Amino acid sequence: MAIVVKLDELLHQRRMSLTELANQIDITLANLSILKTGKARAIRFSTLEAICSVLACQPGDLLEFQPDGG
Amino acid sequence: MPRNQSTALPVAYVVLRILIVLNWVYGAMLLALLSYTFVNEQWTFRALGIAAVDQSMPVVWGMRAVAALGILTVPINLAMLTRLLAMVGTVRAGNPFVAANAYRLNAIAWMLLGLQLISLVIAAIGKAISTSQHSFHLDAGFSPGGWLAVILTFVLARVFAEGTLMREDLEGTV
Repeated sequence: MAIVVKLDELLHQRRMSLTELANQIDITLANLSILKTGKARAIRFSTLEAICSVLACQPGDLLEFQPDGG
Repeated sequence: MPRNQSTALPVAYVVLRILIVLNWVYGAMLLALLSYTFVNEQWTFRALGIAAVDQSMPVVWGMRAVAALGILTVPINLAMLTRLLAMVGTVRAGNPFVAANAYRLNAIAWMLLGLQLISLVIAAIGKAISTSQHSFHLDAGFSPGGWLAVILTFVLARVFAEGTLMREDLEGTV
């Protein structure tokens, strides 16, 4: 996929588990897991805002564009 | 989702099951009737109210063709009803917006179209074998309601397909 979700890296840097994040942003663990594994088709602005708020990061820190050929 | 569907769906399920059985009975009766026209031709003439054999042969073959076309509708009806039953099953399971249902609806639309065309052929046969002495009034022909149902089902199939894609997108949205 061209858009890579770097949630795993961010969580590792913040020493935070996925469960902790899920509890703080009020999103189910299952949905966060879908996002983390890159299986999500889309992400809501509200979700992005919540994650960025808790992890103190920018959307660009969470998402990265990688051309398919590269 | 409104909970009042909970009674309608089991009823639809049972009605569809009954219709499937009735469709088989209808097919069996038509097959028996068609076969009997070959076994006892005189009975057929009497049933049709025709005495003169010379004039009645096209009539008999016309009625046989109508019966054969009627038999042809049995597998079409069956395919339609089983697809509808499967759709009701997905609604009962709480997951109707799946690609399979869009395909089912599209197939049902084509089958309805087929039934309308068969109805036109039956009406044409009825008209062809009708004479001034014997007029055949067959319950077939152009039906505005039937053709509207065909168009409606094609449109619904398309709407369903779009709805399914939207549902898939929504499911993948976090």
